[in-house]
Amino acid sequence: MIKLEQVNKTYQAGENEVKALKGISLEIKDGEFLSIAGPSGSGKTTLLNLIGCLDKPDSGKIFYDGEELADRTKKQLALLRRQKLGFVFQSFNLIPVLTAFENVSFVLSLLSEDQKKIQQKTMSLLKEVGLEGMEHRRPSQLSGGQQQRVAIARALIKEPEVVLADEPTANLDSHTGDDILKLMRELNQRHNTTFVFSTHDSMVMDFAERLVLLLDGEITQDNSHIKK
Amino acid sequence: MKFLIILAWKNLFRHTKRTFITASSIAVGLMLFIIIDSLLMGIANDSTRNLIDYETSFFKIHADEYWEEKDTLPLDYTISSPQKIIEAVQKAGYEAAPRTVFRAEMIIYKDPFPEDGSLQVKLIGISPDQDPEVFETMNSLVKGRSLENDENGVVIGAWLAEDIGADIGYPITFITRTKNGFYQTFDSEVVGIVNTPNPLVNRGHIYIPMETADYYMEMGGAVTEIGIKASLQAKIPKVRSELEDALKLSEDTESSSLTGQKLELFSWEQVGSDFVALAAAKDSGTQMILFLVFIIAAIGISNTMLMAVYERKQEVGMLRAMGMYGSEIRWTFIFEAAGIGLIGSIIGVILGASANYFMVEYGINYGFLMRDMAMGYRITDVAYGYWSPATFTAAFFLGIFLTMLVAILPTRKFLKLEITDCLRNQ
Repeated sequence: MIKLEQVNKTYQAGENEVKALKGISLEIKDGEFLSIAGPSGSGKTTLLNLIGCLDKPDSGKIFYDGEELADRTKKQLALLRRQKLGFVFQSFNLIPVLTAFENVSFVLSLLSEDQKKIQQKTMSLLKEVGLEGMEHRRPSQLSGGQQQRVAIARALIKEPEVVLADEPTANLDSHTGDDILKLMRELNQRHNTTFVFSTHDSMVMDFAERLVLLLDGEITQDNSHIKK
Repeated sequence: MKFLIILAWKNLFRHTKRTFITASSIAVGLMLFIIIDSLLMGIANDSTRNLIDYETSFFKIHADEYWEEKDTLPLDYTISSPQKIIEAVQKAGYEAAPRTVFRAEMIIYKDPFPEDGSLQVKLIGISPDQDPEVFETMNSLVKGRSLENDENGVVIGAWLAEDIGADIGYPITFITRTKNGFYQTFDSEVVGIVNTPNPLVNRGHIYIPMETADYYMEMGGAVTEIGIKASLQAKIPKVRSELEDALKLSEDTESSSLTGQKLELFSWEQVGSDFVALAAAKDSGTQMILFLVFIIAAIGISNTMLMAVYERKQEVGMLRAMGMYGSEIRWTFIFEAAGIGLIGSIIGVILGASANYFMVEYGINYGFLMRDMAMGYRITDVAYGYWSPATFTAAFFLGIFLTMLVAILPTRKFLKLEITDCLRNQ
């Protein structure tokens, strides 16, 4: 469903050029639970950004459901993200002035869903991620793990085809991180939503169904193995 | 759209202090705008009334060619049959009064005056019976009495009296030239002092009875002008048209078939053109204030919005990643700015209305300025404010509109950042 062909991406860091991705080719199938792993600076976030249509490659092609994305305008890409992609960030990126409920439900508002449906779906999903009774709390009134659960609910509320998570457990303690990964895996299996997440933590890698290892912008390993 | 408004509203209270400080700068700007506009409008309204009631009347009739020479107060171009004209004007429903205006040298002697001296003055011959029907001057007597027909008395402006040390009963000699060009000297006596709200009257006008002026100036019943009273709210073109009909003035020749003489009609706006020009300049002044308000709002809001967008960089990155369009994010910030503008406008209008209450009730005393300076405005001391719903409405919406406008720029600049740059950890 998502296919990358010979994708290259270079950044300018001061006077130096940094080749973040070198000839990456990758195919991600529906319902996969895939981890992109590698040390810091290996190109994980860059790859996730390209898969998530947040950035464009310098060369190479990216296909989404068989259609190439190169010619799409910024607005068309925004619409694609709005309808089909969900994001989970390392630092949660919740809006501090909104409640947990509002942080999740606004995604459906953007899709012009009716109010009753928004209410119903949001409450149900918050319950599913274990935040029942905490709907009216603001992010500052939630723990790190609870905030990431809100972020996961926010990513899943629109029933996206793919959820992209950049180091989703990096800001959490190991126990909470473990819970979050289990939750993501459960949701992946229950909703058949594709999950692609980046990590440099070996414990997190173990949760992945498929592990793509990056080193200096190149895929050095692509293993499919079912774990846990 | 509902979500954008809710988010903007909640963002307003993210930094309540900052919101209110920014709103305060708008409020102060709008308050200043309201106060200055009210004061200038109040001064303009009072000046208009004082100009018409004490100086120009609503319309003036002059003989042909008088207007070109008006600054020399000529006696060569006079209205020969004033009474016929006055009757015709009265038939049209307006009050009218004749005046003969001429220049003279006023001579005063030490004892009773403090010093000997002479001064060029403007003498105005008025009909004691008809003049009060058009002008309010004689209602402003602060000392002595009004003029009587055929006497040698004069009524003088209060500031002039103060300057020369005049009082009731003091003798004054005038030297002038008659209509026929002969030198004429006549003695007179101060019988009254007027203190009007019009500084020009107080500073230099001397009134003598029409019959006395007619006799000494050899006018033969002619006058230099006829003042006509109309309601202050009356429309100049309408009054002009009615007067032209009443005087049977031909459009081409301006010759009146009533008297056979060429006559010209001048509105108060023409006679008081110096003041009209000043009032027009007031509009420019108000625009300057508006510009100042704009600058205050622009700097305040721009700074606040710049801080807001940059501190929410990651949040905005997240919203854009979620598929929010740039235009939707821009509207969120514009709505937030509108909220600040709304708070600023409400406070500004409340402060402006409170300050304006005192301006309208008590005013500001400019007596110290008006006494010695000819500023063009026809007020002598207290300048009062004016309630103008249009100004309040304009100030209110302007505050909101300007803040929305100013928010566009920083947001626009910010939205040019790539999503990945926004999301990067700071």
